[in-house]
Amino acid sequence: MPFRNQFAWLFGQNTTIAWVVFGLVCFTLLVAIALSWWRRRRGRPASDKAESNRLELGYVAALTGMVVFLVISSFAANGKESADPPVTYRVQVTGYQWCWRFSYLGTPLAVSGQCGGAQLPVLVLPAGQPVELQVTSSDVVHAFWVPYLRYKTYAYPGHVNKFTVTMPGTGKWIGRCAQLCGVYHYEMDFWLQVVSPAQFSQFLTNGGHLR
Amino acid sequence: MTAEVKAAVYPPPAEDEGRDGLLGWLLTIDHKRIGLLTIGTALLLFFFNGAIALTMRAQLAQPNQDILSPQAYLQFMTMHGTGMIATTITPLALGLGVYLVPLQIGAPRIAAPRTTLLGYWFYVAGAIMLIWGFLTPQGAQSGWWGYTPLSNSMYTPGPGQPLWVAGFFLAATGMILQGVTTLWTIFRLRAPGVTMMRMPVFTWAQLVTVLMVVAAFPALLAALLIIVIQRFDPGLGASNAWNFAYQELFWFYGHPVVYVMFFPFVGCVAEALSTFSGRRFFGYQGTVLSLLVFATGSMAVWGHHLFASGQEVNDYFSLTSIMLTIPAGVEYFGFLGTILGGRLRYTTSMLFALAFIPQFLIGGLTGILVANPTIDYQVNNSYFILGHFHYTLLAGSFFGFMAGFYLWFPKATGVMLREGLGKLHLVLLVIGTNTTFIPFFFLGMRGMPRWMATYPSGAGFTTLSLISSIGAGIIGLAMLVLLWNIYVSARFKKLAPPDPWRGQTLEWATSSPPPRFNFNLAYPVPKVRGYAPLFDLRERARGEQARGEQVRAQQAAEGR
Repeated sequence: MPFRNQFAWLFGQNTTIAWVVFGLVCFTLLVAIALSWWRRRRGRPASDKAESNRLELGYVAALTGMVVFLVISSFAANGKESADPPVTYRVQVTGYQWCWRFSYLGTPLAVSGQCGGAQLPVLVLPAGQPVELQVTSSDVVHAFWVPYLRYKTYAYPGHVNKFTVTMPGTGKWIGRCAQLCGVYHYEMDFWLQVVSPAQFSQFLTNGGHLR
Repeated sequence: MTAEVKAAVYPPPAEDEGRDGLLGWLLTIDHKRIGLLTIGTALLLFFFNGAIALTMRAQLAQPNQDILSPQAYLQFMTMHGTGMIATTITPLALGLGVYLVPLQIGAPRIAAPRTTLLGYWFYVAGAIMLIWGFLTPQGAQSGWWGYTPLSNSMYTPGPGQPLWVAGFFLAATGMILQGVTTLWTIFRLRAPGVTMMRMPVFTWAQLVTVLMVVAAFPALLAALLIIVIQRFDPGLGASNAWNFAYQELFWFYGHPVVYVMFFPFVGCVAEALSTFSGRRFFGYQGTVLSLLVFATGSMAVWGHHLFASGQEVNDYFSLTSIMLTIPAGVEYFGFLGTILGGRLRYTTSMLFALAFIPQFLIGGLTGILVANPTIDYQVNNSYFILGHFHYTLLAGSFFGFMAGFYLWFPKATGVMLREGLGKLHLVLLVIGTNTTFIPFFFLGMRGMPRWMATYPSGAGFTTLSLISSIGAGIIGLAMLVLLWNIYVSARFKKLAPPDPWRGQTLEWATSSPPPRFNFNLAYPVPKVRGYAPLFDLRERARGEQARGEQVRAQQAAEGR
């Protein structure tokens, strides 16, 4: 489950840089205001220097260095997320107006629920085992998003987007549709529930009921 | 200046001179009137689309509200997005160019004025059709992206969506026409002495803007045709190719358009900063180059809108998107370099330009964040993205527009705006935009998707949404102050001199408002030796005065 870690690392790194840049720019604004006040007090005119090629090349070089660093970080994080371990289970996630269906491939089991009520559909996954999710749609474009996973992918009709998750421990998290898909887009919530492997095998064999 | 050159630059036939009244405006071939019509119409629509946004914020102030039905919410949301982008900010951006570019390059007119006027009327027709579609019972409900198959006749039947397609198409076509004529004006009608590298920063910003309009807007027209085709044969919506092709074409327009809605306002900020710093814009050549690089790069980043599509080359678009930091940074260094050496005058225009710097920066820096696929997977299509682009558009671009508005209002109308009310407008707008849009980032991090007509009470969205809605109210109040300012200034006129701000560019050499052909015998085009011609003249006058005093002092010392 690389998404959470990679997101935390890259988001932390990028926001730190962003805060530093924001602070520097605001500081420079204040310096400019102070300098202007000083000029006015001393009766000095504004600077007549309209360019400084050395300074300009300097900041272009600094910006380029920053961009190289950011691009390398972006590639590194993205590369780690693309690694696909061999999977134990495959689940097809189908979005439709306006809910979700989860089909456990290789078994006859397919579960759904009622979005916009108390009976939200539940995507049940086993802890510690890599599962491939195959995200698709049977009508318009939806997007499968579990904020806890730090990942979302579009669900297209006529196309399957695959990604692999390995959930480290058990738990239950909310999932949402993240692409405008019509009137009840806002109701397309579901649960991601991670159970122990033993519970999961039971879930597969007794028709989608959790004990 | 030879007689031949003069004839080429000042064509005397005054076909519509003297025609006034309503018809004189609606059929005008004066670029100033076309520009003011475009800006005025766009400002009216800003209030309309803003009122729609306030209604949406009212609906979202509390969970499970019923002010707007889910269907109505989507119609409002679609109108707000499409209206603001296609019929408000883009026309504000290009209308400024239609008004100002000929003045700034010392031209008497715009090239192909009738085509420019046709562009305005296409835009008006587009805006009318969009609103007409909005007023039909079902309206258009697929957002300003209009993704297929949601926008096809199977999922959004009724006349609202086709009217949306037609309106968007016409408005974009109108903007292409205005962009082309502005481009041609810059290439063909510059006054003697105004070389490309002596054009003001604003005109350069307009040049790269209209280059993007010409290069990117046709892709939107092609994309909209896909919706038209799918409305006749909605079965095509089941095939990925038809839907993904739409998304690619749409974003090939959809990303450059955000820079179309940004560069002209960068130009406004640059003019305000250099004027009110009392010096030339710092790093002119670097800024011009960076604008060109930025515009070129903007054509190669559209795929970052599709990082989560699973069908895009994410690393490539991450690379190109992050690379835009370089030209953007150069422009920021230009801003900062200008004010660092300046003696600042804190007019309303200057304060808007100064406020633009940190406010837009929030949008820009979060933009670098979402150029990383790893971060984008999480925050894309969430309120975080809404925060990002509302910072660029409202807290950024619109502040740049207001800097230009307060700067050039006296030039265009001959009347000064009230500075006190202007500063009140600024303060309220700063408070309003930040109160509204900072919560968006946190809502996104908490997992709130875009386009939600309402939200459940236990989801942790309530407090932040309420704060944001209060902020939206403050923005509304700020805009009422602007209206009040315009009303007071028009009712109790303080007449504007030709150059109320000690301006640097050619439009300040002519009267306020300028004569029909911009410059005449009373207000000729001065000699242009640089990109800040009026500043050059003042500098030289000061130099001559100083030399004169020196000579007189010397003569006195020698006892003559």
